[in-house]
Amino acid sequence: MALAVLFAGPLLWLLLAALKTREEWASGSTGILPERAQWSNFIHALTDINFAAYTLNSLFLATTYAVLITLSSAAVGFGFARLQAPGKRALFFVLLSTMMLPQILTLLPTYVLFSRIGLINTYWPWVLWGLAASPYLVFLFRQFFAAIPRELEDAAIVDGCGWGRIFFRIFLPLSRPVVVTAFLLSFTWTWGDYIAPALLLDVDHTTLSVAITAWYRDPRGNAIPTVQAAAAALYVIPMMVVFLFAQRYFIRSALSSGIKG
Amino acid sequence: MAHRKWSRYPRAPFYLFVSPWVLGFLALTAVPLAYAFVISLTNFDGSSPRWRWVGFRNYVELFGDGSAWAALIRTIAYTALAVPLSVAGSLGLATLLNRRLKAVGLWRTIFFLPSVVPVVATAILWKLVLNRDAGILNTLLGAVGIDRISWLGDPAAFYSLILLTLWGLGGGMVIMLAALQGVPPELEEAAIVDGAGRWRVFRHVTLPMISPVVFFQIATGVIASLQIIVQPLLLAETNNISTIAAVPESTHVYMVQVYEEYFLRNRFGYGSAMLWVFFLVILVFTLLVQRSTRSWVYYEVDGDADR
Repeated sequence: MALAVLFAGPLLWLLLAALKTREEWASGSTGILPERAQWSNFIHALTDINFAAYTLNSLFLATTYAVLITLSSAAVGFGFARLQAPGKRALFFVLLSTMMLPQILTLLPTYVLFSRIGLINTYWPWVLWGLAASPYLVFLFRQFFAAIPRELEDAAIVDGCGWGRIFFRIFLPLSRPVVVTAFLLSFTWTWGDYIAPALLLDVDHTTLSVAITAWYRDPRGNAIPTVQAAAAALYVIPMMVVFLFAQRYFIRSALSSGIKG
Repeated sequence: MAHRKWSRYPRAPFYLFVSPWVLGFLALTAVPLAYAFVISLTNFDGSSPRWRWVGFRNYVELFGDGSAWAALIRTIAYTALAVPLSVAGSLGLATLLNRRLKAVGLWRTIFFLPSVVPVVATAILWKLVLNRDAGILNTLLGAVGIDRISWLGDPAAFYSLILLTLWGLGGGMVIMLAALQGVPPELEEAAIVDGAGRWRVFRHVTLPMISPVVFFQIATGVIASLQIIVQPLLLAETNNISTIAAVPESTHVYMVQVYEEYFLRNRFGYGSAMLWVFFLVILVFTLLVQRSTRSWVYYEVDGDADR
């Protein structure tokens, strides 16, 4: 299948570029493979910028956001799946509509608002976004919770359990596959996000995704493509490994975004 | 009956459980949108306290703004090319993989993998592939005697952007594949027995069965394409957020234009007016799409009954 080359080729080209000398890269036509693998590009990628610090920023931000949004979305999904109150249908309709709302539209005014109340260069925006639940993950949890038989909660109600305990003790543990899916998905959103950290965070607080786009330059200010390629590879490879081990969760998340009901 | 139901479900827990989303929606979506509308009625520049109300002047100006119209048309052109191509491409790949193949999981992984590569890495690796002097694409084209093309400059950058988008169609492919596997084989077999050719089976049996999924792919694809901004910014030759002026004209889409009004010209009021107009455009589009579904989407069973 020649098609597979089209899809895998660019990734291979990135790895090859990461192993070339700058001259080899610039000459282009001398050969597709590097003469000798230049592992020093990876050393430069790790040391020319404070790679470790940006990785920690990314990890911290992505983990915080993913934990919060998984919990909040599970709670909201539980509410929509198992509880009743006036206004529920209308709220659910609003929730589904906001799945369609482009996030970028709200990001710019959010940036202006946050800069006025001093949330720029802090991680609070991600905490707030995490607490606010994601319509898409809410939908994911709601579908799962709605399919659980009623007898389960009946027994708990008879035993005198409150809804909070029913959620935390029975439903949340049952939904482990969805929890894993939601966590992986929201983690990769933040790990891969560019525009929000680029807008909201300064040089010291920003994430790896922003750091690798701009700051590999020689003294004359020219970008160094081979080192940047190495940095991009270091940035992607952990995600690929996670993906290969957790493929079914990624596929599940792709599926639930495309199939309603 | 109804009375007993309400004793089982007191109201407070529901409101408590959904409150994170309700409060979050109000504070992080509704308030920013309303705030943008307020700013759009001013000449606010982002920092100076000496702004004043200008009424709907920003909107009037936008109506006669040639570059904003051009950016909008470019965005629509991008959407009109990228969405049909990626939906058709993901459907085509899914159809290929839906047969009994050896190592089908491996193929699926290869096609799906690019769609999970973060956008920053996607942009970096495509810039390496498309590089004018050292990129593999021009090297390969050179081998068959085609001159070097500046893929990242005008006018080719537009097609490079589409190429980059298509590279990520594996996510859609996985969804289409699942939809295809949900089509009962008896239906297709019956059509074949009746003498229908492969194409007619696909056109009149398979496609109608998976039309809800195709429709959903198109709708979400259009909305994602209209708001594209990060890819053009990152594909620009000098990839630095402060040098947005480097985005070539052919990929200067609407959101890039908005971004420029905000951060290059510091016209927060005008940029916000652009945002609001775009918001309305997308809203109208979504409503139109949803109305049109009834005419061509076949639902086997009506959506799950919402209690």
